[in-house]
Amino acid sequence: MPAALLVTEHLTRSFGARVAVRDLSLSVHAGEIVTMLGPNGAGKTTTMRMVAGLILPTSGRVVINQLHLTADNADEARRSIGLLTEAPGLWERLSVRMNLLTYARLQGLPNPAQQVDTALAQVGLSDRAHDLAGRLSKGLKQRVAIARALIHHPPVVLLDEPTSGLDPASARHVRDLILGLCRAGRAVLVSTHNLAEAEAISDRIAVLNTRLLALDTPAALRQGASGARVVIEVEGDASRWLATASVVAGAVGAADASRLTMNLPAAGAIPDVVAALVTAGARVVRVMPEQRSLEEVYLSLVGTGA
Amino acid sequence: MSLRGLAWHRVAAVARKDAAELARNPGAIVPAVLMVFGSLIPAFLVVVGAPMIAGETLAGSGEFAEEAQAAVSTIPEIAHLTGNALIQAFLFHQFSLLQLLVPVVAAMALATHAVIGEKQSKALEPLLATPLTTVELLAAKTLTPLVFSVALSWGATLLYVVGMMLVAEPGVWQTILGPRSFLMFGVLGPLVALAALQISVIVSSRASDARSAQQLGSLVILPITIVFVAQLMGAYVIAPAALVMSALGCLMLNAMLLWVGVRVFERETILMRWK
Repeated sequence: MPAALLVTEHLTRSFGARVAVRDLSLSVHAGEIVTMLGPNGAGKTTTMRMVAGLILPTSGRVVINQLHLTADNADEARRSIGLLTEAPGLWERLSVRMNLLTYARLQGLPNPAQQVDTALAQVGLSDRAHDLAGRLSKGLKQRVAIARALIHHPPVVLLDEPTSGLDPASARHVRDLILGLCRAGRAVLVSTHNLAEAEAISDRIAVLNTRLLALDTPAALRQGASGARVVIEVEGDASRWLATASVVAGAVGAADASRLTMNLPAAGAIPDVVAALVTAGARVVRVMPEQRSLEEVYLSLVGTGA
Repeated sequence: MSLRGLAWHRVAAVARKDAAELARNPGAIVPAVLMVFGSLIPAFLVVVGAPMIAGETLAGSGEFAEEAQAAVSTIPEIAHLTGNALIQAFLFHQFSLLQLLVPVVAAMALATHAVIGEKQSKALEPLLATPLTTVELLAAKTLTPLVFSVALSWGATLLYVVGMMLVAEPGVWQTILGPRSFLMFGVLGPLVALAALQISVIVSSRASDARSAQQLGSLVILPITIVFVAQLMGAYVIAPAALVMSALGCLMLNAMLLWVGVRVFERETILMRWK
């Protein structure tokens, strides 16, 4: 497995009596995209800010590109980080080029003008370099902000709500850019509310609600922690077999015509249910394991009130 | 935090950006430009306008003659003048204090705009996510307004002198080019501007819009106005020694404000409270 470029260990941050993030441990490797999902106030932005060295954790630690981030070396650590903030935060009276040129100079890059050209080409905005930032559409502003975050070629990229408020075409473009970062070997940590997007781009998803509720691949999350669902089609009326199918501990089901829909504690319980039905004399026509949607998994983790 | 290890290329990057933004936002400098005229007009109104309307010279009306004569010991530059020229030179020196308001007003207008503007455009967080240190940010946010304020103040002084050349009695305008004016415009002016800037930046860190920051910052104008009015009412003259003392006091005030400013400009404070 490639090296972990971003590691958080038992990261906790309180604001007075309120705990914004509690005991968060995760890592992002080179060439990996990890997405943080969670309701508003779940601590995603606070986590981003701690990882970016903008605020310090109350306890726990952040390691960026092998450097343990402290108050003393945060300025140095930020060289390894590209942060896309929730709002693009461009200087709207200045041209796109001047916006990026300022950041190239701040990062102390050699030949800043050339670096700006490269960054603009990367986000497909070479022809808009001299436009005022304030005159760009929201999608284009977001692309400029991404170019700004990447201008110094950071190994760790943090993207806070990268497609929030964008039209589908712009969002698609931004998603392609994020996937490109992954292919280029960057470690990418994304924060989003968009479940479909998280599923489309992520290698792993971290579900967060102050503390880490789950961290796994999208497929494993759908299959995993909160059980499995199976639809079993039998000959005749299914309702007479419902009690038999519920013999497995924790199984809950419903019958509809010839179909039994069973929620089971784990996918491994499916053969047990089928065996019980067959033993009891049911003629099983079809067994159809159903995959839960990421939305169902997410809501079961954070609660529907989220 | 210390000033050692300050990366000037980063300070310059933000200062250049601020200057470019200022060039594209002439509205921000309107209060400062108005102040230039506000500082020039009273002097010329009293020294030239009023006598012209009254149809007699200052010397002829007997106004300010005693005060002008008494001021010779404090302003030796005017000692060689007599009559109307002496009174004119005395009054131009007295009114020159008003020009200290130019760098103050310019500094406040630009500093509050520079800091609050970043807040309002949500540009601070990405800026803070760079290797830029908070001291560098503070220095950068002070540099452009300071350079502009001092340049504008010197420009106003130049206009003042040119105006004197055009309308005052012969020999009057040369008196303004002495050590007293150097102390006032070359030393005290920039120091007062720097103090106003730092106060504006500190106030901006607690205010959410430019107007309220400027209103709070305008308290800086008060002491200068009080001295000016007291000077006219009591017709006393600020001696060079008093200017030196004021400059030293201003220097100490600036050191204290820098100490406070660096603490106010904590990254975390900026991110969490500057909303």
